[in-house]
Amino acid sequence: MLEKLKPIICEYVDVEPEEITTDAKFIEDLHFNSYDFMSFLGEVEEMLGVTVDEAEILNLHTVGDAISYLENLQ
Amino acid sequence: MKEFQVNGAVLKCYPLTAAQRIHNYSVSYCPNHQQLLNIGTGFYVQEDTDFNILKEAVYAAYEQFESMRLRFLKDEDGTVYQYVVPTEDRDIQFVDFSKWKEEDAHDEMRKWTAVPFKRFHSPMNQVVMIKLPDGFNGIYLKVDHMTMDSSSLIAFDRYILETYCAKRYNTPKPKPAQSYIKALERDLAYEAGSAAYKKDAAYWTGEIEKSEPMYTDFNGMGRLITQRRENNNPNQRSAMVTSSSPEASISIYKLEKEPSERLIEYCEKNHVPMVCLLLMGLRTVLSKFNNDEKDVSINSCVARRGTLLEKNSGGTRIHFFPLRTIIEPEATFLEAVHTIQEEQNRLFRHANYDPVAYRYQRSKHWNLPPGTSYESISLTYQPLTLKQDADKIPDVPYKTFWYTNGVAAQPLYLTVMHRVEDNGLNFNFEYKKDAVTDYEMEYLYYYLCRVLFRGIENSSRTVREILEMI
Repeated sequence: MLEKLKPIICEYVDVEPEEITTDAKFIEDLHFNSYDFMSFLGEVEEMLGVTVDEAEILNLHTVGDAISYLENLQ
Repeated sequence: MKEFQVNGAVLKCYPLTAAQRIHNYSVSYCPNHQQLLNIGTGFYVQEDTDFNILKEAVYAAYEQFESMRLRFLKDEDGTVYQYVVPTEDRDIQFVDFSKWKEEDAHDEMRKWTAVPFKRFHSPMNQVVMIKLPDGFNGIYLKVDHMTMDSSSLIAFDRYILETYCAKRYNTPKPKPAQSYIKALERDLAYEAGSAAYKKDAAYWTGEIEKSEPMYTDFNGMGRLITQRRENNNPNQRSAMVTSSSPEASISIYKLEKEPSERLIEYCEKNHVPMVCLLLMGLRTVLSKFNNDEKDVSINSCVARRGTLLEKNSGGTRIHFFPLRTIIEPEATFLEAVHTIQEEQNRLFRHANYDPVAYRYQRSKHWNLPPGTSYESISLTYQPLTLKQDADKIPDVPYKTFWYTNGVAAQPLYLTVMHRVEDNGLNFNFEYKKDAVTDYEMEYLYYYLCRVLFRGIENSSRTVREILEMI
């Protein structure tokens, strides 16, 4: 999943793929803002054919959190 | 996309996007105030400026930003299209205000900002190199809102500044801008009945049909009560902020550095965006002014710049959608901020939808009297500043200005932005003069600050407690 997410993350924020680890925090490390994050999730939803819950999104702080959450949805 | 012959050349011309159509609509219905879409800004640096290098930097920025080379045309049916010219050939003007009083210089630039652009086959911006008193030099920039918004304006100014510093001081060069046309083509493809568009349309239909919102005025219940009486409808929930003239003014309130830092720290500590905190402050004030109403809607500005292409391609992308929240008085301050955050996240996911189509559908569904709405205030939070990469820009004193064009489309529009000099927050209230007074703005700002600081000093205070305290 991490490898699938990397190119999408790189469309949104100016980071190198190797900086994207499961421990990386979306806001503090990757410099996402809320709009970036929601647009990113929209794209991931389309790619994986899943629907995310807005209330749950508030708990997704790291790339690892997002991977666990998305894997559970599939 | 259509091809038109312009000055002997066949050019690709594109329809307007939803974000542009709303501006085009506003300016079409204000024939006597064609400056409505003008945005005037100035940034000045205390530095012994080399104006030849500055001029080169301006041309370099024109080369990078296609939307600064945008032109409009109208076809035989009256439909407006846009195209990009390959180069900017105009000379860059220079005006020396160094012997003027500074306030007079800014007044002069305010006058420039009120001069309308010719709308078709003509440049939609003006760049002037400026020399102010006290050694401050820089750029006055006027653009038409159909071509640029505040995010792209800041990006354009930063490109000039970073290019200037790179040429003069050998600092790192700015990264290239991205193609406006590429971003435009993606937007138009979305609007042309894509699956994502249909999904967003379904979402907004659901939102409209849920229940009717409630109008909450920045000046209390009087307006709604009067209009209920006039329309003989005691249950009316929408109202019109009447205005016979678009003449506008701006009042700026500066929150000092230290209290601004407290707000920023609160957001960082609690993982909440600043705009949600501001929305919480504003909705609580509106609630207070309207008999503790729980159902409050505010027009929220969505910059729609998620991907790097959207962030770095200039243009105008802002959509306004109502951020509606129904918050119980027992909710704590932080719970309420989280409710706003959830609602805003939901809004963000569907913000590409055409805001005009949404409003039309809402008016039809709730049978709204003409010109009425549920929102009395619009809010924008602008997180970007000119000076974000310390390595690219020397640490010298800066000044930035927004110049009013003298008219406005919305009755009351609050823009909150960071000051470049100390990162403190400026609250810029732009308001129609016959709808709002300066005193009312001050009153609103005072209550907004009271709510914000009562809330952040103790997040477990309930909304009811805060309403009683302020």
